[in-house]
Amino acid sequence: MKYQSQAVAKPYFIAAIGLFIGQILFGLIMGLQYLWGDFLFPAIPFNVARMVHTNLLIVWLLFGFMGAAYYMIPEEAERELYSPKLAKLMFWVFLVAGALTVVSYLAVPYATLAKWSGNGLVATMGREFLEQPLYTKVGIVVVALVFLFNISMTLLAGRKTSISLVMILGLWGLAVFFLFSFYNPNNLVKDKYYWWWVVHLWVEGVWELILGAMLAFVLVKITGVDREVIEKWLYVIIAMTLITGIIGTGHHYFWIGTPAYWQWWGSIFSALEPIPFFMMTVFAFNMVNRRRREHPNKAATLWALGTGVMSFLGAGVWGFLHTLAPVNYYTHGSQITAAHGHMAFYGAYVMVVITMISYAMPLLRGREANSNRAQVLEMWSFWLMTIAMVFITLFLTAAGILQVWLQRISATPMSFMDTQDQLRLFYWLREFSGVIFAVGLVLYVISFFIKERKTANA
Amino acid sequence: MTTLTLQATPQKSIPGDLAMWFFILAELLVFGVLFICYGITRFADPALFNAGQTHLHAGQAAWNTLFLITGSGTAVLAAHAIARLQYRQGSIFLVATFASGVLFVVNKLMEFASYLGQGYTLSTDNFWMFYLFLTFFHFLHVILGMVIIAAVWIKLQQGHYRNGQTAGVETATSYWHMVDLVWIVLFPLVYLIR
Amino acid sequence: MSGSFTKATARNIFYGGAAFFFLLFLALTFDSQQALPKRDNSQNLTPQVIRGKYLWETNDCIGCHTLLGEGAYFAPELGNVYKRRGPDFIKAWIKAQPTGTPGRRQMPNFHFNDQELDDLVQFFKYTNGINTNNWPPNIQG
Repeated sequence: MKYQSQAVAKPYFIAAIGLFIGQILFGLIMGLQYLWGDFLFPAIPFNVARMVHTNLLIVWLLFGFMGAAYYMIPEEAERELYSPKLAKLMFWVFLVAGALTVVSYLAVPYATLAKWSGNGLVATMGREFLEQPLYTKVGIVVVALVFLFNISMTLLAGRKTSISLVMILGLWGLAVFFLFSFYNPNNLVKDKYYWWWVVHLWVEGVWELILGAMLAFVLVKITGVDREVIEKWLYVIIAMTLITGIIGTGHHYFWIGTPAYWQWWGSIFSALEPIPFFMMTVFAFNMVNRRRREHPNKAATLWALGTGVMSFLGAGVWGFLHTLAPVNYYTHGSQITAAHGHMAFYGAYVMVVITMISYAMPLLRGREANSNRAQVLEMWSFWLMTIAMVFITLFLTAAGILQVWLQRISATPMSFMDTQDQLRLFYWLREFSGVIFAVGLVLYVISFFIKERKTANA
Repeated sequence: MTTLTLQATPQKSIPGDLAMWFFILAELLVFGVLFICYGITRFADPALFNAGQTHLHAGQAAWNTLFLITGSGTAVLAAHAIARLQYRQGSIFLVATFASGVLFVVNKLMEFASYLGQGYTLSTDNFWMFYLFLTFFHFLHVILGMVIIAAVWIKLQQGHYRNGQTAGVETATSYWHMVDLVWIVLFPLVYLIR
Repeated sequence: MSGSFTKATARNIFYGGAAFFFLLFLALTFDSQQALPKRDNSQNLTPQVIRGKYLWETNDCIGCHTLLGEGAYFAPELGNVYKRRGPDFIKAWIKAQPTGTPGRRQMPNFHFNDQELDDLVQFFKYTNGINTNNWPPNIQG
């Protein structure tokens, strides 16, 4: 850690991990509800559990991105953060707002929450991933703007590297496209059309800039490879990301009332979307192989490589699997979608945030890397979580293929619920994998508390 | 005439910047996939495509072919001139390339206006969807090519290419050739082949 | 490998490519907006349908169901439920929840009055009339 103010990243990272635990907990609850439909009913209906699961994911990733920016930008700009106080204040605002939102999801019926929170004035709630009440959405915008102001001022006054420019561009894009969450036309087709401007242009657009910048930053630090080389690759990768990903939005416009030509443009451009992810994998391995130093933080290197591989598998391969319109006609809105969503989010965004935490947290705690024992445990957690996620994805894919077959392709199509009964075996296996994932997460948390053995130094 | 072996690059290497070549390959890949999709769809319903093609203004499009090829030629001449340190000449050839782009754009806009005026849109049928998307997609590439040529021209005025440092000019020229090449495939594919 | 692979060119391709494709996306969006009225069933967007959409949203139905294939995958697709079940079944079903059958997935009771139930049904009818390029493949959704 080169600048005092980078320390504000620490609470952001801690909050991210805390909310991650909550997310997984609710994931396990939902997994059980797939098996015992009345589990925790009516206390926590499935839709509430799902809302908490997905919203926690978004919020903790945002915590991770903000923490990463607060850590990276001063170091890249070579000056202290414009206002550490503002960063600390926004941390508490965001944490309290996030916690209040989750508590209100759990404490009152959603319709009541909508009524209280003024959804009648500006109706924005009740759309997938954008379930937050109005005040939370406004809060997100305020926190994002103050945060962007803070890091932009830092950057303007300091050294402007490509990595920090890409990072800031991604974060500004994140804030700008979130504004579409306030646009909720009565026309369902338009509603869905612009809903994707938040969801798709986030995860397959501007978030990938953030992902690329974070990965590039860590690779510069742990490999010691010339910054010029890494930044060059960063630009090429994110150029390909946007070239394929923007028109690739069309793969969501196949069956929602939009013109049929999107089946062509969506299929063609999203079929190319794996290319930037593949380049990212090659890039990560290439840089680590060409390393000019042996960084003592092996765990961070492992997470960085893992991000490359798993984002390619989850977002690239599993995305391609069902992105062509003739395939998607059968797989749209099935467990295959869920399979892709899980591995893509884990492989790309969860892993890159953990990569950053893994690299920065030891430095924030005053050492270059954690003790060997702590790193070994962290690597165990890497393998447990990653392999568990691969299995979750495989089981959901199997469930999805069977579902599509029974419900949509067979000559005598089964009803949705009858089909679900046939998938129970895969849902059991998925839940079992989820428990393994949770064990991995627990080990990950424990790895932060492992102290170096005094005698080991002797 | 169109050879790209310039005296300023004696070592055996591709002209221009490698990053641009990645980009050009990616572009050719996209156009290639689009052309294949066009071919498959045409194969499935040749009657529809033949009928649609009779409404196209092939003569007008032939002029556009001429404009783009002329632009390619002057772009090469510009690169040669700049490599020979004849900056004034290079500047004129760059302007000529840009002007050929303007001619293409104006001509193409008139053609688009005519089709849209007749009520054809992307949603008319498969032929018009492909025709309008492919040619509009290419049209935007021509505009991008003009932006790049203009950027090189400005840099030339600012004296960026002294002592035969022509990588930037070669990069721009390569891109223009790519746009030209795509049109040379696109033109017969959608206007002529029945 | 050519010695010439500069960061400046890579950067320019990024900015140029991003702007280029975003403009193309805007152009396609413009065309889509023009084409929508023929497909999106907006002529049937009555005040009742709009109220129904509001109920759909404020009860977080998307948290279990899919609508035109988007949402959660825990409960049946409702984009075509109007065709699959008909208005009377839909109303009776919503009123009868939760079933309380042990071990089965449960849908909460949302305490809708008769007018609200009609609003929801009209929303499903409107949704069912959207031209989805023949999705879903069959009536089961």
